[in-house]
Amino acid sequence: MRNRIIDTIFERMSVDEDLFFLTADMGINLVERIEKAYPDRFVNVGIAEQNLISVSAGLANLGYRPFAYTISNFATIRCLEQIRDDVALHEYPITILGTSTGYDNAPLGPTHHVIDDWGLISAIPGVDIYCPSSMTYAANLVNHVLSVGRPAYVRIPKGGSDAVGTTDHLVKVAGRSGGTLLATYGSAAQACLDAAEREPEFSVLVFNRLRPLEDEDLIRAISPHDRVVVVEDHFADSGLYGALCRLVVRHRLNVRVESVAPDGYTLEVGTNPEYFARRFGFDADSLIDRWLEA
Amino acid sequence: MPTSRDFSPVDARRTVLTMLHRARASHLGSNMSVIEMLMAMYSSIDCEAIRDQHDDRSRVVISKGHCAAATYAVMAHHGILPFEALDTYHLDGSLLQGHVSHAVPGVEHSTGSLGHGLSVAVGCAMGLRVRGHGSTPVFALCGDGEIQEGSIWEALMLAGHHRLGSLVLLVDNNRISNITDTASVIDLNPLRRPFEGFDMDVREADGHDVDQIASAISDLLTTPSPGVVICNTVKGKDVPFAENSALQNYKPLDDGLLAEALHYLDGLESRAGAR
Repeated sequence: MRNRIIDTIFERMSVDEDLFFLTADMGINLVERIEKAYPDRFVNVGIAEQNLISVSAGLANLGYRPFAYTISNFATIRCLEQIRDDVALHEYPITILGTSTGYDNAPLGPTHHVIDDWGLISAIPGVDIYCPSSMTYAANLVNHVLSVGRPAYVRIPKGGSDAVGTTDHLVKVAGRSGGTLLATYGSAAQACLDAAEREPEFSVLVFNRLRPLEDEDLIRAISPHDRVVVVEDHFADSGLYGALCRLVVRHRLNVRVESVAPDGYTLEVGTNPEYFARRFGFDADSLIDRWLEA
Repeated sequence: MPTSRDFSPVDARRTVLTMLHRARASHLGSNMSVIEMLMAMYSSIDCEAIRDQHDDRSRVVISKGHCAAATYAVMAHHGILPFEALDTYHLDGSLLQGHVSHAVPGVEHSTGSLGHGLSVAVGCAMGLRVRGHGSTPVFALCGDGEIQEGSIWEALMLAGHHRLGSLVLLVDNNRISNITDTASVIDLNPLRRPFEGFDMDVREADGHDVDQIASAISDLLTTPSPGVVICNTVKGKDVPFAENSALQNYKPLDDGLLAEALHYLDGLESRAGAR
């Protein structure tokens, strides 16, 4: 999925001279062709994420449309104040591209687990948040953010399927009417879709965009169900679970909202994302075991 | 194209004192130490282009955002801002905040949290170069305490590597940081040493001699490397009760102190005129 997004940036740079690509020394075997084709509009700022964001702001001052790229946790937490003060406050149309989400980098340990990123960004008004959950959405995302022209954070999971290939921000795979609705995004979406394929009791609501959320669309999707289980590889309170709880309260919806999510940082080794999925219960087997109603 | 200067540092200081007094605002010392630096920067560039927001205008990024009063005052004296706008400084509802704000026409970037502005200036310099304006001056102004922020050095490393010769950083070396003298917290003296270690071209200047600062700027803009002017200044310059006082920096001006300060400036002016 990351490759697809970089492909579209590369294509757009050939026709749009305002695009500028910055990396904090990430993207081996990925970004080199941008540097080679567009050396004037490419800069590797080095392992310096605060500089990545503020330099992007300086370029935006000149009218450029910067894409700032590094791993999601470094792209957000390390430079949160720069995002707040230099991007959001100025409403600069800078797109922050974060690769890896959740436990994509499982074996690298908790400093590289991306389970709190967009929750922190969501505390800053004015930054749209995308979580492409299909290749089709990812392929259209660059054109979309450029047309919208707002600050944006894109958290890009590793791998990528097109099980629900769509350019819609929200897509529902309907199971039994009234059954449990699994609300999910990013890497966790595939497990939910797998569970639903095995057990049609489940419906699945896949998010490709986490902010803004359109209340009307969400209410329409959620209302047929008595229970929504939010499945995410991100802390719940600052994640989609929190957002949907607020929706339910705002509109006084008659629906239970449950959470499947990491409950903290972990020091134990997990050599692959599936280990943590089983650990926190968002693999397909665990979802079926726990949430399938008798 | 440089802009001619038809006002003096005393004029600018009077304006700042009036603004701070009206608004009962703080940072007197921080504002007084940068007057000549601001005058040197703005008189080195085309202020009309800034006022009229030309795309290829020089960029001035005030990274030391809390010298907003001085910045707005010098901008007004240079014709970038109308003087009437200064009357609203730091009053409820005004866009002229106590830290420079991009809501004010002519201000490139809102700052206040230290350490951001130099990186923004680096981005501006890079962007101007790509657009074919690689010799258009880009200035950043920061404080000697501010350079303790790590992000300053991220910016300098990148600027040096890319030989951004159009970038000049002016350091307000008033030797007092937030609560005490800077060197007692982190002693980097001689200050030129860390900057030279990062491949900057460094000049030092009397921070209250506009011509000396402007000359250093002019010289640095001819070199291929980014430049740094270490401006040796006095916090609270020409306000005797505020000079070199960390504490006074946070105290508002009452009527008595304003009168005392203005009287002192009148005396300075008289003595200068008599010479």
